[in-house]
Amino acid sequence: MNQAKIANLVCQLRYNVLPKPRKLKNVKGPEGRSIKLQKTLTKLLKYERIELNLNRADETRGYVEQLISQAIRNGCQNKTVMELANFWILEKQLIYKLFNVFVPRYKSYCTSFTRIYNCPRDYPGSYRKKVVLELKGNPYPSIYTHSSDGNLLQNVLLSEAKKQYHIKHYEKFI
Amino acid sequence: MIQGIISVCCAAIRVHAQIQSRNLTVCVRDEWRKRRNVIFDNERERQKADVGRIEKISVKYIKPSGEEEVNMMMNKDLSTPTDCALHDSEFAMKTGALSLVDGIPWDMHKPLSNDCKLEVLTMQMIKKSSSLNFAFWRTCSLILGATIDSSFKDDIILYLHSFTWPNVRSGSFLCDAIIDVNNWKPTEAELRALSAQFVKFTRQSLPVERLVVKEEIALDMYQENPFKSQQIPNIAKSQEGNVTLYRIGEHIDISRGPMVGHTGIVGKATITAVHKLESEEENRYRFQGIALPSGVFLNHFAYGILEERARQLNKTTWMPQKQFEDTDESANTVVAQIAQN
Repeated sequence: MNQAKIANLVCQLRYNVLPKPRKLKNVKGPEGRSIKLQKTLTKLLKYERIELNLNRADETRGYVEQLISQAIRNGCQNKTVMELANFWILEKQLIYKLFNVFVPRYKSYCTSFTRIYNCPRDYPGSYRKKVVLELKGNPYPSIYTHSSDGNLLQNVLLSEAKKQYHIKHYEKFI
Repeated sequence: MIQGIISVCCAAIRVHAQIQSRNLTVCVRDEWRKRRNVIFDNERERQKADVGRIEKISVKYIKPSGEEEVNMMMNKDLSTPTDCALHDSEFAMKTGALSLVDGIPWDMHKPLSNDCKLEVLTMQMIKKSSSLNFAFWRTCSLILGATIDSSFKDDIILYLHSFTWPNVRSGSFLCDAIIDVNNWKPTEAELRALSAQFVKFTRQSLPVERLVVKEEIALDMYQENPFKSQQIPNIAKSQEGNVTLYRIGEHIDISRGPMVGHTGIVGKATITAVHKLESEEENRYRFQGIALPSGVFLNHFAYGILEERARQLNKTTWMPQKQFEDTDESANTVVAQIAQN
């Protein structure tokens, strides 16, 4: 009965990985799948913000999260981590970037390290959903440009209308 | 002396107007409007001439994008923020709603008088100054006044009464007018026609001109309007004997300001309701409307909710004993006072 909780032993990600892996169908089979993931992961570490199909982006996301969190937990001295990094990262200079840039950046993060935005689809074009995958804390300007300023005229008007609606609604019950 | 110049300039018009008002009422309102414009133009010319030798001031102009700072040499007491924006870009000129001169809200057409730091604000830059919304609402009231003045036939006796301090939270801007019609309830079509007239004003992108005049000139301009003539001495008292006038197109009204740069800043707009007020004056009607800045796209359902709300009677009253600053706190006090009443 004194069994330790497994959740405490395994490095827990702050990102929900799908219960079933996506197959990312291709001619080479499972090997081709990992090649695809290697390529995407490498490019993501290199450019920090990439645009691609939702399937591939979301699948890679789990691998990137896992790799960075392992690197933070065990550091560059650990053999398994180095092997892992060596396998997944195709351009070897990025291994330095992983330990010297990403590890210090994400050390204090209490959220996931990556973010996905939905992209508009070309029309007419492929049906596949497009997304932008990025590493948080990148040097680019934010994609999200909507201002959520409550003092803009339309927001003031709408919030007052909402207040009035609620007051009316509650008056019925009193 | 000023009085002399003006009376000489407008004697002809005045005589003409008086004769007409004695005989028949046709076109009288139009004559008075023309007369007001002549006085306005003359007074502005006189003030320009009074500047005398032109001195230069250096204006640190911050672009609407907020990054670049440019040093401009402008004319003292002549150049306005609009002139500075003209040097910058078409964008700044078209979207510039209000400017900040050393952090103080400043009309786009108010001459600069000293070396200063100037920042031109668009309607989206509400974080920099909360006066933007109030200026916008006030301008809407002014345009509404112009709409009312130009929409009615000349045989109906009509006096613009006033518009209150801009209370955005009340959900509608308003303008009061005395109309010599008993129990008028506008039909849908009439409201739509009024809205169309309002939109005509906004589409023209008319500059909102500003002029500060002495009390006597203002009284002279509004001598035909018994309500304004009553209000002017009160207004002048609180502003050291001066009255601030604003003009769009041919319509001139009294307001404390500030207002936005031109009427094109106003986008989607509707005149939603006309209510008859219970007041001392007979047949005092309150016109209400709602508008959004141009470039703001609100879906028709949400806008419908706002329109529906703007149809209710707006109970904001004019309180001469208090001079409100354009802040949200004063908006809350007004709301609280209305609730108490």
